[in-house]
Amino acid sequence: MRTIPIPHVDPLPLPGPVWLFTALLLVVFTLHLAAMNSALGGGIWALWNYLRGRHASHPYSRRLATELATMLPVFLAFTVTLGVAALLFVQVLFGNFLYASSILIGVLWLAVIPLVMVAYYGFYYFSYTAEQGKGISGCVLAVSVGVMLGIAFIFVNNMTLMEVPERWLAMYRAHPNGWNLNLGDHSVIPRYLHILNGAIAVFSAILAEIGMRKMKMDAQYGRWIVQRSALVFAACTGLQFLLGMWLLLAIPRPIALALLLEPLGGAVFGLALMLVITAMLLILLGSLAQKPSSLVHLGFATSMVTLFLMVCLRYLLRLAYLRPYVNLGALAVRPQIGVIALFLLLFVAGLATVAYMLWLVTRSGKTRVIAAAPY
Amino acid sequence: MLIALVAVLHVFVSHFAVGGGFFLVLTENLARRQKDASLLAYCRRHSRFFALLTLVFGAISGVGIWFTIGLVSPEATSTLIHTFVWGWAIEWVFFFVEIAAAIIYYKTWDSLSARDHQIVGWIYFVAAWMSLFVINGILTFMLTPGRWIETQSFWDGMFNPTFLPSLVARSAVSVILAGIFGYVTLPKQEGREKVARLAALWMIAGALVLPLALWWYFARIPQFSRLYLNGVLIGVRHAVRGGVAFTLLALAIALVFGVWKPRWMRAPVVALLVVCGLGMIGAGEYLREFVRKPWVINQVIYANDVRASQVEALQAQGVSHSANFLLTDDTSSAVYGENLFHLQCGSCHAVNGYRGIRRRVDGWDSEFAADILQHIPMMHGIMPPYAGDDVDRKALGGFLASLNPAWHFNITDGNRLEIGEQVFAARCGHCHTVNGNFRPLRGDFENQTPAQVQELFPALGSMSPNMPNFNAPDDQAQALAFYISHEAGKPLLHKPAPAEMPTGSTHSQLVRPGQPRTEVR
Repeated sequence: MRTIPIPHVDPLPLPGPVWLFTALLLVVFTLHLAAMNSALGGGIWALWNYLRGRHASHPYSRRLATELATMLPVFLAFTVTLGVAALLFVQVLFGNFLYASSILIGVLWLAVIPLVMVAYYGFYYFSYTAEQGKGISGCVLAVSVGVMLGIAFIFVNNMTLMEVPERWLAMYRAHPNGWNLNLGDHSVIPRYLHILNGAIAVFSAILAEIGMRKMKMDAQYGRWIVQRSALVFAACTGLQFLLGMWLLLAIPRPIALALLLEPLGGAVFGLALMLVITAMLLILLGSLAQKPSSLVHLGFATSMVTLFLMVCLRYLLRLAYLRPYVNLGALAVRPQIGVIALFLLLFVAGLATVAYMLWLVTRSGKTRVIAAAPY
Repeated sequence: MLIALVAVLHVFVSHFAVGGGFFLVLTENLARRQKDASLLAYCRRHSRFFALLTLVFGAISGVGIWFTIGLVSPEATSTLIHTFVWGWAIEWVFFFVEIAAAIIYYKTWDSLSARDHQIVGWIYFVAAWMSLFVINGILTFMLTPGRWIETQSFWDGMFNPTFLPSLVARSAVSVILAGIFGYVTLPKQEGREKVARLAALWMIAGALVLPLALWWYFARIPQFSRLYLNGVLIGVRHAVRGGVAFTLLALAIALVFGVWKPRWMRAPVVALLVVCGLGMIGAGEYLREFVRKPWVINQVIYANDVRASQVEALQAQGVSHSANFLLTDDTSSAVYGENLFHLQCGSCHAVNGYRGIRRRVDGWDSEFAADILQHIPMMHGIMPPYAGDDVDRKALGGFLASLNPAWHFNITDGNRLEIGEQVFAARCGHCHTVNGNFRPLRGDFENQTPAQVQELFPALGSMSPNMPNFNAPDDQAQALAFYISHEAGKPLLHKPAPAEMPTGSTHSQLVRPGQPRTEVR
């Protein structure tokens, strides 16, 4: 028996090139994170503003909480939908690692499913009742947000555990029934906090963008949103530097060095740092003006690019962790060309269909008078 | 058990997600054409229920299946991913469109024009059905991989021999479920009768197609799978009867409470109808999973997640040679035996609960247990071969024997028959009956005295390579012989006709005729 128990690679060849799976994984995971950050960060924003908005002196808070209430179930729907795609592609490349770590924390890993349902139904309940401003709605939202914090913690545990096969056997022998967490890994807590704080920061950037759009209908309310979210974005981004540093120090030194001293890893890290500072400055500067300027749009776009770069960095970190055990370039590949082409075609058609439906919705907003007739 | 629970609930809701979308958009169209405000109001209310059930429970339980199969059958999941990742990617595109369309459809009753709203409804239905179309190919592949075994081509795997019949059957089920769930939001007053009749029509339409599709499906499944339906296995028998009963009951409710007396369609009846739908799905999923035994992917991976191609190496070198997760390095320890149980049997058996092994091995001693492990594919043809070497068999046999206290009887004339029956159940009943049609022994022992029967016992192990050695204590052997002689001597109106039993595959027998038997001491 081996002391580092890594399940063998599947005997079937990969049905597509590694670069394609990697690219798809990075893209869909970034989108998943944007949706997840909106659901979690948005949930925290909604909760805070809901509680604050219960006092008559904060009408905007109340209004924002009510508006976010209708968005939260949609954010969570796309968190799940995009997460499924990320799960699919990560299994192709790292399935043997992910299955092993998932089994080790099996009980909690499975608990994610009912927990997501609880959070999801809680969001729907809040969306139906937020306008009434009752305490129970806030409690339900708090439970949903709390549950999502728990889900994020389970995910961080699994995603870190899959990268450290050398810890698996001792863990299995201590608790073979799936009651494990990866808490012995010093990077889990800073990584978790980094993700949480990042979620609030990213959603704050998204909210600043939403605020810019709101300004077209209600300038004062829109500006209030933009300025609030810009401040939170800046504060969280500042905190994120500290958490990021803690995370880097918590990662084993050789792995952190391997990540940062390599040209690609170093470049992505450096660029991400520059961009996030730029995004912070742009959003802050843009929001401070009496009439927030288009700098906010630019800052929002920069923050989204930063998010993508951080996802790339996370991927490179995984490769650094798994370097002794994985050589993706050596995997046998037999591309299913026809099916890949069909997928890409349908992917474009799918996006076009969703865009078409959104266009129908947008158009109806402009011509709602016509729709007044019931039939 | 976990997979079964998650899968049944997911299949129940996800088929409704397909049929219900079709039902909604057609009913909306009908309401708008007939300018029926109450029917339109019903559609609107139903769409909220539909969204809350399918978007949340349906979608998340689907992810739950992903999570569960990765835990229970990572090997099989990996093979499916490596074969069908692009199929799943395509399915994901449809899923993405489906979710977006569902949200838009449900949220835009007031804002979209009638035409645009129905367009979104149709987009939803087409995306949902296409999602079913793709997943159906992957699911049917697991039982009937067809030409994929030779070509490993995506298209051969996807459009396999049972693809079409299964697609028709699943579509019919979706239509039935659309009708069943249509009653959940039945209007209390205005429009009640119209909706009740409409939903009943959907159920009847689906129920007309379903038997034909199932007949087509069962005609296309492999021979070994069809043999499970020969009535010998109690679980299968119950599932078939249960599935038919639930479907007929649902149909009867639709006719009586839907068509004839819609006023009587009250909450308890609707609840019963939903239970019938769940029962129908449960029976169908149970049968679909069962007839694939001993495989999870036919000819490739066994139900316990062991690759067919690995069995010989595991039998030659032992599990400890290649296993990744073992609780101990000491292959002679009791812990090792328990570990093997969880590795090789845990996919289908718990110690106590689901398909509990404790009650199944009551009466086994470690020697008998280690011996019979060589013959487990003979047990109804359901079980995969034991994939381990002699040391492993001894360890697992020891664990199985340790689950129950050893049998010690005080046998008298009064309890001999009863104890003989118990010994028969423990030692012979897993592969034989006396007067039933499951490998009946009557022909061999009819008109023989207990002493004559007992004389044969020492030779059992050498009579057939598929038989274990007989090593029960003398008093149990006597009781067993008495029982067999008594049962085989009973007058019968019809002599048992042996039923052909499934063997799963050529891989499913560890000891093949002509091969020497390995003794475990």
